[in-house]
Amino acid sequence: MNGYGGSILRVNLTTGQITKQPTPPELGRDFIGGRGFGVYFLFKEVPKGADPLGPENKLIISSGPFSGMLIPGAGKCDWTTKSPLTGGYADASMGGHFTAEMKYAGIDTIILEGASPKPVYLFIDDQKIQLVDASPLWGKGALAVEKELKDRYGEEYQIAAIGPGGENLVLYACINHDYGRQAGRGGVGAVMGSKKVKAIVLHGTRSVPVVDLKGYRKAGMALYLACKESEGLAEWTRYGTTIVTNWCDEVGALPTRNFSAGSFEGGPNIYGQTMRKEIVITDKGCFGCPSPCGKYSSMKRYNTMVEGPEYETIGMIGSNLGIADIQAVAEANRLCDDLGIDTISAGGCIAWAMECYAKGILTRVDTDGLELKFGNIEATFEAIHKIAHREGKLGNLLAEGTKRAANKIGQGSEKFAIQVKGMEQSAYATHNATAMLLAYMTCDVGAHHNRSWAITYDLQVGRDKVVPEKVARIIWLQNFRPMFDVLGSCRLQWVELGIDRDLYLPALEAITGIHRTWEDLEAVGDRIWNLTRLFWARENEGFGREWDLPSPRFYEEPPQTGATAGQITTFQDVQRLLDMYYEQRGWDNNGLPTPTTLEKLGITAIAV
Amino acid sequence: MRLYAHSSKCSGCRACLVACSLNLFQESNPKKAALNLIAYFPTPGVYEMKVCTQCGDCAEACPTGAIKLNKRGAYYVDFAECNLCEACVPVCPEKVMYVRTGLADSAWKCNLCGDCVDVCGTSALWIAS
Amino acid sequence: MNVMSAILKPYGILKTYIDGEKEKAVEAGRTVRQMMVDLGIPPEIVALVLVNDEPKPKDYILQDGDIVKLLAVIGGG
Repeated sequence: MNGYGGSILRVNLTTGQITKQPTPPELGRDFIGGRGFGVYFLFKEVPKGADPLGPENKLIISSGPFSGMLIPGAGKCDWTTKSPLTGGYADASMGGHFTAEMKYAGIDTIILEGASPKPVYLFIDDQKIQLVDASPLWGKGALAVEKELKDRYGEEYQIAAIGPGGENLVLYACINHDYGRQAGRGGVGAVMGSKKVKAIVLHGTRSVPVVDLKGYRKAGMALYLACKESEGLAEWTRYGTTIVTNWCDEVGALPTRNFSAGSFEGGPNIYGQTMRKEIVITDKGCFGCPSPCGKYSSMKRYNTMVEGPEYETIGMIGSNLGIADIQAVAEANRLCDDLGIDTISAGGCIAWAMECYAKGILTRVDTDGLELKFGNIEATFEAIHKIAHREGKLGNLLAEGTKRAANKIGQGSEKFAIQVKGMEQSAYATHNATAMLLAYMTCDVGAHHNRSWAITYDLQVGRDKVVPEKVARIIWLQNFRPMFDVLGSCRLQWVELGIDRDLYLPALEAITGIHRTWEDLEAVGDRIWNLTRLFWARENEGFGREWDLPSPRFYEEPPQTGATAGQITTFQDVQRLLDMYYEQRGWDNNGLPTPTTLEKLGITAIAV
Repeated sequence: MRLYAHSSKCSGCRACLVACSLNLFQESNPKKAALNLIAYFPTPGVYEMKVCTQCGDCAEACPTGAIKLNKRGAYYVDFAECNLCEACVPVCPEKVMYVRTGLADSAWKCNLCGDCVDVCGTSALWIAS
Repeated sequence: MNVMSAILKPYGILKTYIDGEKEKAVEAGRTVRQMMVDLGIPPEIVALVLVNDEPKPKDYILQDGDIVKLLAVIGGG
């Protein structure tokens, strides 16, 4: 099938049976790939009410038609599942080189189903596919396991692995690849751990056929030229996403001490410029990327190295924990990576716990003796360790995520569990930034920024404005941006370098043979958006508006310090944003897609 | 004229490998590229590039005369005349002389097409005399 | 009389503040922030200021001959 790997690989871990089916062309036509394939299989094959950590849940890994091709940033695969953290839809986009190798191995989607009685790893080498005993690897760090498997099989083999976090079913456990890339959020690593799959070893040597070779090469070269000629390429490459750290601090978007403020007095110690000077040694890129955002760093104090930290980790484990020390943040990043837990959720959970500690809601008895104060680096390292191993009272509490932890501890701590739908909010403080607040409220995995980043837009239109244009912008971004997760390539060349997105269209047509406009692609995006919404509704009794509400911190507690001191959104505005959002999306007043909307999108026979 | 590489600028993205295989074989397959990058991870955390320096040792070693000079003045493999004897492979000082019989029916090497230079976002590659 | 001047090169959409031109001569001797305000560029939307390719704070005072680049993060993360 032109542009595709060609097959769906099913691995039943209960029976050990492995089957390969040709990818149906209609699937490529209607759902295109990546996140599209993920939502299709999730809806079709995971039964309603499935335990996310049980054998009925599936982990669906999909490449897309751009993956592995001559396309800038062609290195993304999508990991879809029912989230153990939120109980709803989750997908995580993983960079590196895994997705390209899937295509060369002739695979579009890997579906992990059932559960293995013993630890295994999935070994794929062109046509040779088998489950191998992973008992000797069980318990080891994800980075260590990658090294061991690469040494065993060869550098050409791509590895994705869980650490103890996934093995111990930490609800925000992640999956690691290429020494520093993750399928990060939603607990995809816990699902993999619940199936006792320690790693996937992947190698493929085939080429990917395309319909129009000349057209494909011409379009691909034009995309690379646009990237190389983009203004800002040097700066984006120099700093990666850390380019925004000082600016977020300046505009009150840098989460500080559990999102109590948006500016951090220790900011300069963790700015991108400081990081570049102190620890960065290599600009590291995913497959095909002309603007490598990965910053491979060396922390002399700890005698360790890590890919990172990127902006999110700096925000969530730096300023959000009151830690003004870039080496410490980098080391915490490395611990999370090796132990296999999402840095964003880990930072959110530890920050919540630090605030509880400051307020006396958690004491040293509850923290297993840790002095869990904001700014305490050693306690942070210890906490990360405890979480990954579910060790002690603290580890077990925080491994559940802030929503469950706060519900358990009570005493008003629910009010400062900074989460939406059970997922910890990522690193943009939204005390007074209504478009971005709406983005977090309505993101379809929980409070993540990936779908519709709108900080500058808020500043351009007016931070506190609650106007239909803001809502329209968020909806457009939500229909458009995730299409990169469908196509199997990175959004950052459009997002950061600002290249003309029309340049992608001739490439897509030359590869797949199907002519599509951005209007067509956004229609697919709109359909997928409604499907993920329906999945939430199907899996969560009483799902609706209540689930879209943000943390009360953003409508009750103006920051005392920083750029947004004294500023706060009102609850009334929160509700107004949702009213406008539901109306523009064609959903009812409770936030559920109406039958008219579903019909318009061509979603008819869906079991809700 | 030959290809040059600044390893310290390499980000390991492999766009060069895809562009190369596309030009050499009209296929998207980095394993059929005629240059290489080696990743040294987790430590010391750097990439090393290997490119053809047009030294001509392969041409000298080739018993069938399959390695010739093209109009760019670069050595290339005439696929029709290669008999897969592999005499060229061990003599290449950069280890960028390739024989992988599962992937192609001929040895292959860099022919200085320059497509790798065009896709390298970090300007780690360039052609000069 | 010699007027000290710097060259402003805004990236991307920031060019709209200088009528779509690629670069513009601007008066030196004031802060980058003041220059932005004078041109109608809201300072808060500019994420990175480079003077002669070095990152500088918005309170940096422009010198004669400085080349100033401004980068705004439109798409984000």
